[in-house]
Amino acid sequence: MNAGGAPSEARASLSLPERRPTAGTIVRGGVIAVLLAFVLAGLPPLLSVYWLDVLTAVAIYSVVALGLNLLVGRVGLVSLGQIAILALGAWVAARLDFATSLPFPIVLLATGVITAVLGVIVGLPALRVSGLYLALITLMLAGAITIVLNSTNFPNGGGGFLGHTESSFGSGGIRRPSIAVSDQAYYRYAVVLAALMFVLALLHVRSKPGRAWAAIRQSEPAALAAGVNVTLYKLWAFALAAFITGIAGGILGGSSGKLFVTQFTTQGSIILLAVVLMGGVFSLWGALAAGVLLQLLPALLNDWGAPPDLLTVIFGVGVLQVLVTAPEGLVVQVPRDLATLGRFLLRLGRRAASLLGGAQ
Amino acid sequence: MTFRRALTATALAAALVAAAVVTGAGSAPAAGPVGSGTASATKSVCGLGNGKKATGSPIKIGAIATKQAGTDFTDIPNMANAYFKCVNANGGIYGHKIQYSIQTEQTDPAQIAALAKKLVGSGVVAIVGNTSLIECSVDHKYWEKLGYYVIDSGIAPECYSTSHSAAVNMGPRYSSDGAAQYVISQKVDKIVFDQSNVPGAGYNSGGVELIAKANKIPEQSLTDDVPIQDANSVALKLVQAAGKNGGVVLNFTPDQAALILQAAQKQNLENSVKAWACSTPCNSDFLAQSLGSAWNGKLGVNAELNLPSASGPDSALYRQIIAAYKPSLAFGLGSFSQMGFVEARVAVAALLSLPKGSKYTVKTVNTAIVNVKNYKTDVLCKPWYYGKAPLHIPNNTDRTVTPNNGKMVVKQNCFAISAQDPAIAKVRLIEKKQGK
Amino acid sequence: MPSFEDFKPFFVTGLSLGGVYALSGTGIVVLYRATGVLNLAFGAVGAMGALISWALINHTSANQYVAYAVCILFGGIVTLAYGIIFGPPLAGRDPLVKAVGTLGLALILLGFMSWFWPPKSRSMFLPTSNSGYQIGIVHVTWTQIIGLVAAVVVTIGTGAFLRFTRLGTAMRALADDREIAATLGVPVRRVEAVAWLGSGLLAGTAGLLLSDLVALDAVTLTFLVISSLAAALIARLQSLVVTLFAGIVIGLVDALITPILSISTYRDMTPFVLATIGLLWISRRRVVSVGRAGT
Repeated sequence: MNAGGAPSEARASLSLPERRPTAGTIVRGGVIAVLLAFVLAGLPPLLSVYWLDVLTAVAIYSVVALGLNLLVGRVGLVSLGQIAILALGAWVAARLDFATSLPFPIVLLATGVITAVLGVIVGLPALRVSGLYLALITLMLAGAITIVLNSTNFPNGGGGFLGHTESSFGSGGIRRPSIAVSDQAYYRYAVVLAALMFVLALLHVRSKPGRAWAAIRQSEPAALAAGVNVTLYKLWAFALAAFITGIAGGILGGSSGKLFVTQFTTQGSIILLAVVLMGGVFSLWGALAAGVLLQLLPALLNDWGAPPDLLTVIFGVGVLQVLVTAPEGLVVQVPRDLATLGRFLLRLGRRAASLLGGAQ
Repeated sequence: MTFRRALTATALAAALVAAAVVTGAGSAPAAGPVGSGTASATKSVCGLGNGKKATGSPIKIGAIATKQAGTDFTDIPNMANAYFKCVNANGGIYGHKIQYSIQTEQTDPAQIAALAKKLVGSGVVAIVGNTSLIECSVDHKYWEKLGYYVIDSGIAPECYSTSHSAAVNMGPRYSSDGAAQYVISQKVDKIVFDQSNVPGAGYNSGGVELIAKANKIPEQSLTDDVPIQDANSVALKLVQAAGKNGGVVLNFTPDQAALILQAAQKQNLENSVKAWACSTPCNSDFLAQSLGSAWNGKLGVNAELNLPSASGPDSALYRQIIAAYKPSLAFGLGSFSQMGFVEARVAVAALLSLPKGSKYTVKTVNTAIVNVKNYKTDVLCKPWYYGKAPLHIPNNTDRTVTPNNGKMVVKQNCFAISAQDPAIAKVRLIEKKQGK
Repeated sequence: MPSFEDFKPFFVTGLSLGGVYALSGTGIVVLYRATGVLNLAFGAVGAMGALISWALINHTSANQYVAYAVCILFGGIVTLAYGIIFGPPLAGRDPLVKAVGTLGLALILLGFMSWFWPPKSRSMFLPTSNSGYQIGIVHVTWTQIIGLVAAVVVTIGTGAFLRFTRLGTAMRALADDREIAATLGVPVRRVEAVAWLGSGLLAGTAGLLLSDLVALDAVTLTFLVISSLAAALIARLQSLVVTLFAGIVIGLVDALITPILSISTYRDMTPFVLATIGLLWISRRRVVSVGRAGT
């Protein structure tokens, strides 16, 4: 970074010298690749269709959580309207799907772009507010969007701009990509797309936008003074989060074939924030943990016969726990706790061994 | 450090305790000779009624019901479960016990689709007792593909317009039709129809609009978002729109309908229109109790099922089972649990119609179900049936009840839902063809 | 388009609804002014108190006034407990973090309420609902009047309390900067406790009134907070008087839209739209932020 010098050089340089990947990074990358291969190829034969469907939902909502994870963890912007953005993305994808015969990937891409534009539109007024106000205004916007969706509903093959009809039933649902029609294949498709979204996020975080966001998160006035284009990067963050959320919405539509307003609630936006915090916002893996909490945990509880209300209580407790004791979230906390447990057991084992040795 | 450990430990302990308490809260049947004996014109029994515990290989049946904050339909499968338990205590299905699996969902289509696959994967041979805001819409193609003829309590339009679903109730559209017919019988000069703004609202109001048009009465269809935060304004709006000689027809869940009616009462508006009517969800003694005596005889509620206090043998058995098996019923005695009871009885009758020693597979069981014909019960106005047809609305005749000092009493006896609703006309044609 | 005559009764219901929003809104802003915490669990606490009250009245032989007292006390105790346990650890953090903490409390209460009291048709009839005034074709119950009056009393009373008493000044100092207030000799924990208790009692009272005025339903009352937040947002979480007026205006607009049948179904958007417009207008010249940078 240039220190001092002429005013024209005062603009902070956000490019760092290129570094070669270390051995640690290569190993980590290898492990991730192996895990991904297992998830894609090894899991489907082991699990029933039901659990694959649940994991598909985990993949989808991990991407949604990733959007919020980026906003909160990287830029420090808390949005309580991400589920409304998901609804918008799902709506756009459904409308395009029914209105055109474009292939599924193109529909997804278009959905992502359109939702990104919508995200920027939402972000523009948000530029002028921050912190608590931003959270609350996104909550208000989400509330308004939900009420409008109540009346417009989701496209289901009808005509007109809204594409919703209630005069014919038994109509076809949102179609899936031709290469991924079966549930197993759709699961793989969703996992691959989720991985791509994570890679996209990682690329952003590791390069210029990521560093700009870090500067903004640390102190907006300081970033501004250092010459970072705060407006641009904030909007970029909104756009990216909306892009990936929109794509998640497109995959969501294809998973069940039908969309209903009842699945996109204000309470959902609040719970999304809760699980993203619980999963951990300082690492992208936290988004995966959030997806697991949001979709796998309810399915497990359902299997064990626990009431769905218990989940709401768990999330409430989890939020408080994370805020008070472990802001890094589960992703850091669980390994650390396991390590602590491991050390404790090791000590116990050693003490037992020495007692036995002494007793002889 | 200690605070953190304490917090985590407390959280964990609380969660475990809560889970234990909740999963342990089942129902131990105080099984006695309930449902035993010989079936006759004056007595109904559970299944074979022989008092012998069924121990044979299980016949698996499944159900999907909505259960989330604000909406809970589990009364219906819970009651069906109680009936199945009674049947299992009375010889089962020729010795086989019925194993019933209830899956609850939170209006997430992907979750609902997955639960259907879970049930099928676990080996259920029949789907009985589905009650969900959107399940018929999400799953009907799946059931059609696999050949399951679902017996349900329908809410979504697809429950009444597809080939593999037959409901014991009438659903919001046709129940609203019945309520509109009541209001027309009170000689109103305008009809205002208000309902909750949920998916399918356009479909629900369609019937009322057609019936009003056929009777040359101006009609207006309105919606309100739920939960209602300002019931006073809603009640005022409806009264204003209907006018002095108009009629107001409501289609809401019982708690929301109660809010509107109570707000109307608080403002002394119950006499400001000629007639008030409500679709079936209002048919509960709970509602009658929460409305004061000011509403006696003033509210016409379309009743898809007979009063829970009715005197027929099926109704008596229904009450006995509740008393003996104590199923978890949030709404107690009322149309929800009655629906569950009827659905379970129809399913058992279908299973018993297969000769003893049959194999109970998806194909055999569902063939028996679709062949159900002329099933008589005093809980319904007309005999119930399934049959192969592009759509099913087997319950298309009902009563009007009205609150009277905290209880619902019959105001109009069984009448047919108007064929001015084209779907009903279609169904009547099908009935004639299939000789019902 | 309805005539003026048709609109008249909705002015009255609008004032009543405005009272509802103003009561919740001022309750939230009062808490914020006194503790620096935006208590998003305001509605949930009140709802649970009201449900406990209902259970006492309908399932035990308890006297109804005792039940009402229990509701108000419950609000006070739960909020106080939350404040004592979670206030200090979160005290130095961003207001957003503190608000999210109360979201956690709201979720816990909501989950418990949904489990323990499954959705059913429950009603709360306060004795003040049995009588009232007739204004035109609208009948206004005493409860509605009390709701509006309570909002005004809270605004004036708490405003004066915070401004003119020592304890009130100490609370404001605490909300502004806890560390400095402590070094200045303010008995931080005690003042905080009083603030939390007071706001909890307010939440309980509001819950009791709202369970009669709106509905006795956990989800409805918990999320009513979101609509009331609109009024608080327009006041930038600062001015109680602006919150009061904003709440009443939102209620009026909301109700007046009702008879316009073509857009009546969108009336629930009113708080959100007005809050967004209000916030954009306020922030048109400057950046509006709360609290210090960083968590």
